[in-house]
Order: sequence, then C-alpha cells, then structure tokens
Amino acid sequence: MLTKRQNLLETIKGGNPDRFVKQYEFMNLIMEAPIGAMCGPGQTIKNGWGITFTWPEGQLGGFPIHDDAHKVLKDITDWRSQVKAPAVETSDEAWAAAVAHANAVDRNEEFVTAFVAPGIFEMTHHLMSMEDALMALYEEPEAMHDLIDYLVEYELAYAKEMVSRLHPDCIFHHDDWGSQRSSFVSPEMFEEFFVPAYKKIYGFYKDNGVELIVHHSDSYAANLVPAMIEMGIDIWQGVMTTNNVPELIKKYGGQISFMGDIDSGVIDFPGWTPEIVFEKTKEACERCGKLYFIPGASHGLNFGCFPGVYESNDEAIDKMSALMF
Amino acid sequence: MSKIEEVKAKVEAGKSKLVPVLVQEALDEGSAPAEILQAMVDSMGVVGDKFSSGEIFVPEMLIAAKAMSKGVEVLKPLMAGDGSASLGTCVIGTVAGDLHDIGKNLVSMMIESAGFDMVDLGVDVPADTFVQAVKDNANVKLVACSGLLTTTMPALKEAVQTIKTAYPDLKVIVGGAPVTPEYATEVGADGYAPDAGSAAVKAKELVTA
Repeated sequence: MLTKRQNLLETIKGGNPDRFVKQYEFMNLIMEAPIGAMCGPGQTIKNGWGITFTWPEGQLGGFPIHDDAHKVLKDITDWRSQVKAPAVETSDEAWAAAVAHANAVDRNEEFVTAFVAPGIFEMTHHLMSMEDALMALYEEPEAMHDLIDYLVEYELAYAKEMVSRLHPDCIFHHDDWGSQRSSFVSPEMFEEFFVPAYKKIYGFYKDNGVELIVHHSDSYAANLVPAMIEMGIDIWQGVMTTNNVPELIKKYGGQISFMGDIDSGVIDFPGWTPEIVFEKTKEACERCGKLYFIPGASHGLNFGCFPGVYESNDEAIDKMSALMF
Repeated sequence: MSKIEEVKAKVEAGKSKLVPVLVQEALDEGSAPAEILQAMVDSMGVVGDKFSSGEIFVPEMLIAAKAMSKGVEVLKPLMAGDGSASLGTCVIGTVAGDLHDIGKNLVSMMIESAGFDMVDLGVDVPADTFVQAVKDNANVKLVACSGLLTTTMPALKEAVQTIKTAYPDLKVIVGGAPVTPEYATEVGADGYAPDAGSAAVKAKELVTA
C-alpha cells in the first residue's frame, strides 16, 4: 500500500495510485504559524492590517466590514498613506509551536503543509470592499498594480521567514477568484494583475524546496486554469461542479490536478445524511476517474461545517476506492 | 451615430466621465429626458445579458452602472416628480444571519438600472424589517431577498413568508448561491434569478406582468 504522499504523487503525475486520495489526508496542515489574527465563530476582530472582521454566532464564516467607519482603504490613489503592512513575526517564540509541529511530521507519509490566507486578490477587497477593488482595476490600474506589488512583497517577506523555519513540502494557499457561476474578473484582467503576482509568490516557494502548490478557490474558475498552470499551481482545491471537472481533467490533466467536484453546499448543510454524502461522492468519483482528481468537498479546510460530514465524506471515498480500484 | 446612440454605447463601455457630458449634449440637441433615460436602461439591459452569458464580468458591470448613475444625475433635476419613468420601488436585503453583500449589491444596482427606485436594507435583515420597509416607503412593487448560506435558507423562507402574509399581492424575488428555482417556489417566492443580469429582467417581468 502506498503512503498518503506516494498515493497523491501517483494520482497527480498520472501513475498508478492504489486508491483515491481522501480529501486533505496528504496535507499535514501547520496551523500554528503566526500568519496573523483570524476571526473565530462569534468574534469581531481587527487584524494587523486594520481590517475588521465579524463572524456571527451560528454562521459559517467571518466577513470583513466595509462601512465608512471600518473600511481601511478609502481612496486607492492614496493607498500608500492608508495601507500599512504589519510586521512579519521573526521571533523564535512566535514560531516555536509551528516548528515543533512541522518537525513531528513523518514526511514520507505526509506533506508538511503551510497554510496561507488571505490571498492577494482577497486582500485587495478586504482592504477596500469588493466593489471598490474591482472598479479600481479599471479606473486606477497603476495604483492597483502598485498596491498588489506591495501585498506581494509582504507575502514574500512572510514566505521567507516561514520557509526558513518550517521547510514546508506543500503550500495550501487561499484566494477565492470567483462566484459559483463565474470568475470575478476576466481572464485578460486576471492575467494582467494577478498572474505576475502569483508567479513571483509560487515561484519563490518552488525555488525554496516546496514541492507542491495547492490553491484554494471554491468557485467557478475554469476560464482561469491556463493562468493557474502558468502560476505553478499543482492542485486546484475547491473546484465546484459548475466547472465541468471531467472536461478540465481531459484538457489539463498532467499539467494540473483538481480537488473537489463535490459542492459543500449540497452535502454540508443542517439536513445532511450519509446517503446524500455517498451519492454525491459516487457521482464525482465516477465522472472524474482515478487520475488528476482528488474527491472532496469544496470547503477550504480539513473539516466540515456540520459535525460528521467530513468523516462521512472520507467513508464514502473509502467505499468508492473499494469499488473502483 | 446619434447622441443618444453615443450615450448607449458609452454606458455599455462604462465611461463614467463621458456619459454625463453626452447626456447634456443629447438634452441640448432636444432629446427628451425620458428618452435618454430609456436609452441608458436599454444599455444596462445589454450589459446584464452579457454578464449572464459570461461575456463580461463584475468589473465591467460595475463601471457601466456607475456610468449610468452619472448620466442619471444630469437627468434627475429635469425628471423630478415624473413617476412615469419609474417601475416602482424595490426593497432589497440579505436575510437575517447572513452578512454577504456583494451579490445583493450587484442585484440592487442592476434592478435600479432597469428603472426601479431602490431601498437597500443592507445585510442581516430580519423578516419584520422587510415588512416595515414596505410599509414605510411609497409605491413598493417588489421585494428582493438574498441568502448565500445553507444555514440562512430558513431565514430566507421566513422572510418570504412574512412578507407574503403581510402583503399577499406584493411580488417577491429571491436569489443566492444555494437557492434554486424549486426552492424559490417551495418558499412561496414569485421569482428567482441566478445572477444580477437575470434579476433585473425578472424584476421587470414580475411588476409589468
């Protein structure tokens, strides 16, 4: 039996996996790294950039607040005086828990995986709201290029520190690039503003010992797959059924792999049942096949929103492995 | 190209500095304000269709709507009190417990561009607040409720049913990622739209039927 790591590599390299990769099993996620304040259920926080997030009790995630009192960037042309990056943590103490976790991982079995969020596109709209950020791409392109460069430089400074301490094998990087029906921006605009940014970021990781780039965008983004390949993404996690994943695998398998094809909304909801989870998992496995595909919910971390869903999905994948391998 | 045709083309292209100038020039040439407004509404209809078909994306829709609103600013003083240009008032909001605002804002913008006066209640809106807004505002013809989370679908249902109980003849349209046409029917909504462009078409259809 292949290790989780070996089985993943066989799957994404078109070899001979002996079972389906089971969701996030190949990633041992190091969540202790000092990447900045994250909002938890029922909390309202202000992060190091000054962005205020709130997460209503009983709901599924946090949201940046963009009323006049809270919006960090009110005028893109004046971003230099309004946006101040926080300092990257460089003390041994701040990194100790993450380093201990990374050192405890058996790298033959799993990938030591650093988690990075939010992404560059998300940062632009967290700072100034989605509407302002998207309009600025048209109305103030030079300022947006400069702001994006600044965000990239910050991430590279963090990446340098993180890589030197954790030596990750894999990066799991969030940046949502679309709704469930379309990408937020056109492929041309994406190519102009975000591809160069990610070529720098993912290029740095690859040049510094990272073997695998897994990018999360639980959305439609089929029109951005050529750009993802150009950026150096190995696995697109969160691919929703609206993307026609079997077609993507046929077209791009071997250059990039796809993780998802089970929309979280249809299995991870208050009335979920193991039968629903199995039905959706079976459909995904049968239509996508054994190579360049990792079945799993589109959700961007290794747990479900409702207790038992993630585990039920794992069981469903085990059943499909028994049936198809 | 006539001045009105130019207005249409520049709204579609999102030229927010140029559109008010062209609108003024069209007025100076003798075009009626209502005619110019209709041209811009038609233009936004094209923008909505192109968005629905995937030909354009959110930024293009945003800059087109901004261009139209700049044109409307020129027309507004000339059309004050002219109710004939409006399709009525639309109350819009994201339902209780849900803080998603992007989709709701896009829908609001496109429905406004179709000729409605908008009352935007924001996010996390309790069912009773929708009803109160209908009561507090004149000529409300439509309520649009958005829900983006599987966990807030019960709140969407409650909102629709509360509005329909208070105002059985008022049209209610719903949307959001987990919402399907079947679910819309199940909760008693009159209409459903999968995206902002289609929402404007559906809104108009509901109140003019």
